[in-house]
Amino acid sequence: MIDLIVIGAGLAGLTAALTAAEAGLRVKVVGKGLNALHWSAATLDLLGYTPPRRAPVREPWTTLPHLSLTHPYQIAGELRMRAALQRFLNWSQAGGLPYLPGAVEGENFMLPSPIGAMRPVYLAPYGQREGDLSSQQPLLIVGFDRMRDFYPHLLAEHLNKQGHSTRAVVLSSSLITQRSDANTVQLAAELERREHQIALGGALKSAVRPGERIGLPAILGLDEHTKTLEALAAAAGAPVFEIPTLPPSVPGLRLTTVLRSLLARRHVRVEIGMEVVGVQVEDGVVRWVETATSSRPLRHTASAFLLATGGVLGGGFQSDHQGRFWETVFDLPLNVPQDRSQWFRPLFLDAEGQPVFHGGVAVDNQFQPLDSKGGVMYRNLWAAGGLLAGTDPLQEHSLEGIALVSGAAAGEAAAAALTGGRQTNEAAPADIPAGASAAKTPQ
Amino acid sequence: MQLVETDILVIGGGSTGTGVAWDAALRGLRVVLVEKRDLTHGTTGRYHGLLHSGGRYAVKDPQSAVECIEENRILRRTHAHCIEDTGGLFVVTPEDEGEYPERFKAACLKVGIPCEELPLAEAFRREPMLNRRISRVFAVPDGSADSFLSTHATAQAASQAGAKVLIYHEVIHPVVEGGDGDRRVVGAVVRNMVSGEEFTVRAAMTINAAGAWAGKLAAAAGIEVKIIPGKGTMVAMNHRIVNTVINRCKMPSDGDIIVPVHTVAVIGTTDEKVTDPELLRIEPWEVQLMLDEGDKLVPGISRARVLRAWAGVRPLYQEGFSGQSRDATRSLTLLDHQERDGVSGFLTITGGKWTTFRLMAETTMDMACKQLGVTRPCKTADTFVPGIEQGHYWLGHRLHEIEEHRLQGSLVCECELVTRSMLEQAALKNPTVTLDDLRRDVRLGMGPCQGGFCTYRAAGILHELQLAAEPAGTAASLPAHAVTPAAEEPWDVAYLQSPSHSRQEVGSQSAPAAARLPAASPALLLRDFLQERWRGLTPILWGQQLKQERLDELIYLSVLNADHLPNAGDSSPLTEFWQFDTTPAEAHKTASETATQTAGEVQP
Amino acid sequence: MASISWHTVDHSLDECIKCNICTSYCPVSAVTDLFPGPKYVGPQAQRFRENGQPQSPDASVDYCSGCRVCNEVCPTGVKIAEINARARAEIVAKRGMPLRNRLLGRNELLGRLGSVAPALANFALQNPFSRLLADKVMGIAPEAPLPTWSTSGTFADWLRASKPQRLRSDKKVVYFHGCATMYYEPFIGKAAVAVMEHQGYEVIVPLQNCCGLPLLSNGEFRAAADYHKNNVAHMASFAQAGFPIIGTSTSCTLTLQEEAPELLDMTDEGSMQLKMATWDIFEWLRDLAAKGELATDFRPLNLTAPYHAPCQLRAHRVGKPALEIMEMIPGLVAAESHALCCGIAGTYGYKSEKYQIAMDVGEELFQFVREQGEGVDYTVCDSETCRWQLEHGTHLPSRHPIELLATAYGLYDLEKRNLV
Repeated sequence: MIDLIVIGAGLAGLTAALTAAEAGLRVKVVGKGLNALHWSAATLDLLGYTPPRRAPVREPWTTLPHLSLTHPYQIAGELRMRAALQRFLNWSQAGGLPYLPGAVEGENFMLPSPIGAMRPVYLAPYGQREGDLSSQQPLLIVGFDRMRDFYPHLLAEHLNKQGHSTRAVVLSSSLITQRSDANTVQLAAELERREHQIALGGALKSAVRPGERIGLPAILGLDEHTKTLEALAAAAGAPVFEIPTLPPSVPGLRLTTVLRSLLARRHVRVEIGMEVVGVQVEDGVVRWVETATSSRPLRHTASAFLLATGGVLGGGFQSDHQGRFWETVFDLPLNVPQDRSQWFRPLFLDAEGQPVFHGGVAVDNQFQPLDSKGGVMYRNLWAAGGLLAGTDPLQEHSLEGIALVSGAAAGEAAAAALTGGRQTNEAAPADIPAGASAAKTPQ
Repeated sequence: MQLVETDILVIGGGSTGTGVAWDAALRGLRVVLVEKRDLTHGTTGRYHGLLHSGGRYAVKDPQSAVECIEENRILRRTHAHCIEDTGGLFVVTPEDEGEYPERFKAACLKVGIPCEELPLAEAFRREPMLNRRISRVFAVPDGSADSFLSTHATAQAASQAGAKVLIYHEVIHPVVEGGDGDRRVVGAVVRNMVSGEEFTVRAAMTINAAGAWAGKLAAAAGIEVKIIPGKGTMVAMNHRIVNTVINRCKMPSDGDIIVPVHTVAVIGTTDEKVTDPELLRIEPWEVQLMLDEGDKLVPGISRARVLRAWAGVRPLYQEGFSGQSRDATRSLTLLDHQERDGVSGFLTITGGKWTTFRLMAETTMDMACKQLGVTRPCKTADTFVPGIEQGHYWLGHRLHEIEEHRLQGSLVCECELVTRSMLEQAALKNPTVTLDDLRRDVRLGMGPCQGGFCTYRAAGILHELQLAAEPAGTAASLPAHAVTPAAEEPWDVAYLQSPSHSRQEVGSQSAPAAARLPAASPALLLRDFLQERWRGLTPILWGQQLKQERLDELIYLSVLNADHLPNAGDSSPLTEFWQFDTTPAEAHKTASETATQTAGEVQP
Repeated sequence: MASISWHTVDHSLDECIKCNICTSYCPVSAVTDLFPGPKYVGPQAQRFRENGQPQSPDASVDYCSGCRVCNEVCPTGVKIAEINARARAEIVAKRGMPLRNRLLGRNELLGRLGSVAPALANFALQNPFSRLLADKVMGIAPEAPLPTWSTSGTFADWLRASKPQRLRSDKKVVYFHGCATMYYEPFIGKAAVAVMEHQGYEVIVPLQNCCGLPLLSNGEFRAAADYHKNNVAHMASFAQAGFPIIGTSTSCTLTLQEEAPELLDMTDEGSMQLKMATWDIFEWLRDLAAKGELATDFRPLNLTAPYHAPCQLRAHRVGKPALEIMEMIPGLVAAESHALCCGIAGTYGYKSEKYQIAMDVGEELFQFVREQGEGVDYTVCDSETCRWQLEHGTHLPSRHPIELLATAYGLYDLEKRNLV
């Protein structure tokens, strides 16, 4: 029997699942496909900007009180936020992919983006940490001639314009691969091979000048990332760090792999390729969800459900040409402008963001979705991640922060409810009787 | 002020203007063509891509229909590689019953358009998505055309014949001499929009081929020409859906045609009389109408992914006409201002359509030659533009070449299969000011992700070219005059769209010429190309395309933080697109007004 | 090509947002750049294909193994593997098909031919000389793990012989055995029948054809459609009558459920009934377990058995039911593989030019098996070609989980592969 089914296998869903599993629940994750971490820089961006998106936030904690009361961080509160971050640090350690804060604990720090802008981040994976731009150490940016998603000269020019002494070098791709066509993930696999590390290490050593640190595209190994990074640094005789790239994001793939393996250790199955296509709700309770198969839909019953399907990008919301905009699993109410002509502003990079992406699912302080009157929609349903209202995580640079904080908070709340830790959430159904259909297939 | 002497000055770098330049050059005349942006930046580059058989006008406008079928036959030879032989179908939907189909058949016969009624089963075999409730189908020799490529190819042919084709050159004003009763246009004062330099072009004959802007130009010469700007809105679907041009068999109206062109299917068009050719804002009802009407031809098309929407303004003209723009003639109009207005040395060519651009040029130059006393005949109907040996376009050609030569690793725009060498060749062989110019050359950013991945890559590659073009040892930025009025070398576009051909040319180029590369910084090229893509997206963002847009936001906001580059807020008039725009007035603030971010400023 | 509707695979390209997740997980493009990846050959290239094109512009799509990992990881629902299969069919339609692929696609015919004189056939096929010849003449890799014909009769022979002893019951199921069970591995069918009868069900084995998958994956759509029509004709009435149609070959069940109807655009009532009534045997057993009807008289099986859920099973999107049932067997340690693919992908790894790719793809799985240590007697996998590849790559015998279950019920000898 499963206690909690998490719908969605992104950072929010995996966080919620791991949190609930640590609290003793039997958890299963179903996800339509793999997640947005594969597209992001996979730094832990907590809060980089507040709207309008102009100057970066240095101290996220003192900025929190200025956020709207409907913002997920306000709903979670600082204590739960700090607890979630601590969980994440523990997981990243346990999974062998440590994340680290900047020089000043509790403050954001700046890392170079793949075009040489400065990205405000709160925690960075070990491999990116050395790129900290609060340090005045000169940089050498190294790229490869046949790599379409990394342009070191462009990066260097922009960093120089911002006062960071930077040089750029483009090396031959044949140092690290014989492939005529390779994406970042394939290059990362190539760099796990010793002979490629030696070849690249030698080239780095001849390219680097004393005192420089070396920034490379984020392709320094997959499972063997730390070893790869250290081998290159040793060979080059200089600090080496990664700069994220366009999708596919190797750092995001690594983080997904680590979280999935931590879940596997806790016997949580993460089923990828399962799209929820049906639900049964009655008496204010979710009875089951069904996922599409190659034949009959597969029914999943559980005591509780946690929705972490993401927003527009994750597939949590859908819209059509008639201006309809809806939440895809439970059709939860969303506060998105009714008139499609109000969804966008004239500028793509508008500092205020696009209105359509501000809308989402409203939740209470236990991260339970609310109905249009402000009451809890279903007693055994929780929600986390990109589908939450009150924020545009891309504008704010809070993509991973929102996912983590709300995932942990919702997972905790669901666990507390199921283990009797919460008064208001009475008697979540433990065992749901079979529905009318004969196709019931519990896990 | 510098003075350039020529026989013919052509104003306007659309299909008509380049056609006139080509025609004139082939007759041995000296020609200068000026275009204020890139070639085809006006209506030519904003049309649906139909090579008319004439069927559409057979009943309503037989003269136009005759012009179409004749030119259709000519262009298939002279511009072979710019044309896809899709064929066209006229289908009778349940709403189109009545006598029109019979009239259509008879009219086609009368004007000489091959028209064959097909068994329904054959029509469905060719086009499985076609509405199964249609009752009759007629096949005609419609086709689809690449108006960017064909116009550039015509410009190249004109250049090879001696014409000077100057893009990013704006006419400040025509030069008019003489007094009452003996006024004559003798050329124009022109500004190089990149360098800011102004000069005078003195010409024996000035041809106003400014399309929807022809009225404004004529007014500057003191002549009233009432162009009827008919705005047409088009919607491009994410993939072909149909591979034959599909027309409703009825009197032409809104949304009654689907044109497969390159990788997309275009549903067109509306026809709205607007007050100004630059009012290109797309209204929600127009998109809705295209989709609703599209459903009648291909049921369910409204639920398929829409790639983009855009509008172009037809330069319709009819002497004394005051009705709806839909009813204005599609036939070409040549205004002899000497006869009409008593102003010599000045002709306005307008009306018509892409399919008849060559004929328009011929008609114009016949008149010009007559007035100039030149007796050389038109040669364009029997002259081929460079590149026709590639044969007619077929959809699979890029994929086929990339597969055959295993060029997958060098793709920059993965949606439209643009390789790095294609992009570089386009940038090096032709004057380039914006990434949008490269889009027209090689289709950069025209696929599903609408620049999401390739804009960054193109900016990086152009930056590397810019660096390579700098004199050794200097780290200074590039000279401001990227395009000089004396850009003598002919255009070279014949093989730009061929991945395998571009590949062979890599390395054959010596150091890139800075003069042909964009002067703007990569950050601004990137910002402004994204903005150019954005304005065609907002009318159609829902469903999958909204999801795509959000991924593009993730890349540019979260991963790249591209709006926080050191010069992200700089003004860049040449690459900024929101001044010539689909958006309402309040949007006409520049990025510099909106993004006032400063790197040092930090918020508590 | 058959008529197209908005629901067919071609239009699913519209779901693609170019995000590259599929290419990042594609096991084939991970080991060779001859395959540019699912996004490129799938939704991306599809925009450059058209109905009635003068020639097929494709080449590299032929390196898609059809494992469907791309479909599994795609966050937006593009039917990438199916787009690729249809593109391959177009290559075949335009350029014809090598004899080899024609042969490999005809699993059933091969099976029937070899079964006339199986020992001779095995010798003819397995001796080094003829394998060399097959490589040179037809491009079948000399090392590839081809099956051997059953020398103790076909499954049909056993069915006839065992008819009097088999269970009669009001509770009935239909068994779809597939070609491998019929001609090469009849013991899988025997184990399956024994297990189903052990649950109290009478097992009906109607006339049936090859499911058509080998033809589909080699691009011979028309022939595959004929097979599928036959199967619908033979079995739709059982489906309509409410009998579950149960298979032990995951590729066959997937084809009946989804591949044939989707790739061939066969949406007739019979095809849909067959689709909805078809079960993987462990999915069906798991359903019995959930209803409390699964026999649980297990004897302990003291085995460490690395279990690989084949791509074809994962494409069912029902989780890993065999693993769940095996976890109920006392003493059995079924270590779960998370490898993406064994590499063989049906007939892919038999082809000379793809053999090494298949082995490189499988290395992740072979490595996993090696990591399980010395105490491993068998590997376990639901798909026959994957088992053959596993045996080839690990030199350990491989078993279908139904064999383990039958053994746990005391009905089967796991080593000798026969009913007891």
